[in-house]
Formats: sequence, C-alpha cells, structure tokens
Amino acid sequence: MINRKEKLNMVKGLSGTPETGVDMTLSQLGQAVVLRDCKLVKEITENLVKEEVNHFQILNRGLIPGMLEVSERFRRGEFFIPELLMSSRALKFGLNVLRPLMREKKKDVLGKVVVGTVKFDLHDIGKNLVIILLEGDGFEIIDLGVDVSPEKFVKAIEKNEAKLLAMSSLLTSTMSWMKFTIELLHATGLTRKVKTMVGGAPVTPIFAKNIGADGYCREATSAPSLARELLGIEGDEATVIPK
Amino acid sequence: MKNERLLLVLGCSVMEQELRQFQNGQTEFKFLDYGLHRTPEHMAQALQVEIDQVSGEKYDGIVLGYGLCSNGIVGVQSQTHTLIIPRIHDCISLFLGSLERYRQQSSINPGTYYLTPGWIERGQTPISKYEDYAKSYGEETAQWVIHEELKHYTRIALIDTGVHPLEPYRKVARKNAEFLGVSYEELPGSPMLFKELVCGPWGKNFLIIEKGQSIQQDMFLDL
Repeated sequence: MINRKEKLNMVKGLSGTPETGVDMTLSQLGQAVVLRDCKLVKEITENLVKEEVNHFQILNRGLIPGMLEVSERFRRGEFFIPELLMSSRALKFGLNVLRPLMREKKKDVLGKVVVGTVKFDLHDIGKNLVIILLEGDGFEIIDLGVDVSPEKFVKAIEKNEAKLLAMSSLLTSTMSWMKFTIELLHATGLTRKVKTMVGGAPVTPIFAKNIGADGYCREATSAPSLARELLGIEGDEATVIPK
Repeated sequence: MKNERLLLVLGCSVMEQELRQFQNGQTEFKFLDYGLHRTPEHMAQALQVEIDQVSGEKYDGIVLGYGLCSNGIVGVQSQTHTLIIPRIHDCISLFLGSLERYRQQSSINPGTYYLTPGWIERGQTPISKYEDYAKSYGEETAQWVIHEELKHYTRIALIDTGVHPLEPYRKVARKNAEFLGVSYEELPGSPMLFKELVCGPWGKNFLIIEKGQSIQQDMFLDL
C-alpha cells in the first residue's frame, strides 16, 4: 500500500503547467480529482488554503480542470459512470474545504439559481455536478431534483425570485420538456426576469438555440462561467447564445 | 423476372430474436454488439463502417434496427442505399410496440428500468453492471456506485416480447428488482414495430433516409 505522501509526490500535474510551486500543486489537485482520491483532494486543498492561495484559483485552476479532464475522458469512452461519480465525490471533498471560507469572504451570494432535471427524466449525475460547481462559485442553489414539471420550475423561480434557471436532460425523449418549460416562462412573462441555461448529454447548441435557451453548457464544468456571463457578473469560455 | 426486393437488416443484438422472427427470404440480417449503446460516440462510426462495407451491393435498402439511441445514430448515411429507421428514441419503444406506449409507461413510472430477454442475455442488468464494477473497483465501491447511479429507479419491468420462454428471464429480472429494492412488473410487448420494420410498409413510425442524406437528431423530435 502506497502512503498518501508518496502518492502525492507521484501525482503528476495536468499537462501544460509548470512543475514547481503553487501552480504545480494546483495541477496536482486536478490530477487527484482525476484519480478520484477523496482524501488526497481534501489534503491538497487544505494545504493550498494554508498557503493562502485564493479560493477561486483553487477552484478554477485545480478542481475544475481536473473535473473537466474527467468529463472529456468520459466523452471519449475512456471513463464510464463509476469514474464520473467517484470524481464528483472527490470534487465535493475539495469544495467542502473551500465552502465555509468562501462564505466568510462574501457578503452576498452571486444570485439564486433554480436547477433541475426535466419532466420524466431521473438522471442527475450531471445536474448534481453543476450544483456542486455553481455553489462552489458562490451561487445560491434551489435544487428541485429530478422529474421536474414546467409548472414546478416556474413556481420555484417566482417564489425565490431566481435570476437563472438551469435545466438538464439525459434522454432525447425528455429534451422537449426544456422547450415546454421555456414556453411557460414566456407565457408567464418570466423570461424578462430569468435567464435559462440548458445541458445534458443529448442536448446540442442547435437544439438549445431552437428552443430559445439563453445559454448552452457542453460540460458541467463550464456552468459557473456561463452562469456568470448570462447574469453579467463576469465570465469567459462560456457559450451565450446570440439571439 | 425478379420483382422481390432484398433488404439488409442491420440491428442491435439485443433485439436479434424479435427481428429474426420475421425472416422472409427477402432479408439478410447482421447484428452488432450491444456495447455500442454504452458509448454513443462510437456507435455512428461502427454503423457507418458496416454500411460502407455493403456500398453498391444488391440491396434495395438497409433497415436499421436502432433508434436515435442517445444521438448514437446521428450522422449515419449511405451514398448508395436508402436507409429505413424507426422514428423512436430507443429500443424500448420497439419492444413495447410504439412510441406512444413508451411515453405512457414513462408517465406512469419514469423510474422504470426496462429489461427484455435480449437485454438480459446480450446487454446489461443492474446486477451484471454491479459485477463488472466490482471487478474494477472492488465490492464496496461497486455497491456505492450502482446505488448512486440507479438511486431514482423504482421499478424493474420485464417486457415479454413473445419470442422467448419467459421463466428463466423472469427469475433474473426478479433478482435484479430485489437487488435494487424496487418493485417488479411484467409488461406485454408487441411485435408490431419489428414486423413493420422488417416487412414494411414503413408509415409514419419510420424515417426513410435517401441516399446521401444523413440521419439528424431533429428528425426524431417533435418540436
């Protein structure tokens, strides 16, 4: 059995990053997410916090790039659902270290986001990952779970005065419920108050545009930057759909 | 004079028996591994290889025993043959006999894990998935993963497609329901779509893809 310290030394950083100092540690953090090692992720995150590395750096240059690599490997068929689930769990360990510190620093949350998987769809691995990441970035999440009807989405947006709606679907047979939900937002006049972003394996940018979504998320990992961009907070690498 | 058409049926192996029962001397069959289902990214590629291999051959059309399959079919085309494909999201509609019945079942219970004899034999079940996971990640992790992955399922439904004696499959399906701690039900299947797929006529439930045209997601969606 290799002990954790040795493993830490063995962990190679993600490619294209310097091999010394904080940059290397951040890159190792990403690799620990890829290795789905919860304890290692926790340990490195704690070390970085001790070294007073900025939380957003830890998130955006360590944890998220690691998770992005996992998503890419999943897409290429090198990783399967177990790897995705285990890496998400590891990511959570890192975020649990960061969350209380982020709350301390922030007076207000970035905004309220209603999140859910659409009607008749029970898949939530991607949706839960989006929640972890959006929360980590400072958004307040209202998680409606799975199999969420358009009416339930609308009710939650009104009740919480949410600025953003994030919908997920993993089946081509349930994708249309994103469209029905956006139609209901139009009918109730909520499109003036709330932006919409959609994602999930079968969802394409063309589909997102056709149904009138404001943003399309190819990867769960790009959800925070897209959410910021849609709400005009700041953002990069996101895909805001031009009207 | 020969006036009978000759079709090539290219299908997923989970529905081999259901399709073969309509063998009529005017069809040739080829079945591909179910594993393509697991990586939709590779499915179109594998199907394209098969279609390209028979490019220019005597067939009057190529029938695809597939649905949209998580977009796994998107991009598939033939330069020399017409393609015929059922306008369904996945094979559950084929086994149940129509897209409407699949929708009806989903609305009754969206948390249904469907099994058919073909799926049990050639595809995956929650238990076989768990066993695969256990080999790679150990039992404890495998337990966590499988229950995390399937935590929202509330029912196992075995579809009786009428071409297999059900008893041995019933046992497996019940065991899977016990394993997940969910209810168990049997649903009658229907041969209708399989029959139409192999024998025609190809009405509103099918897409006819002309030579050179490629299969697209929006062809399957009601938008």
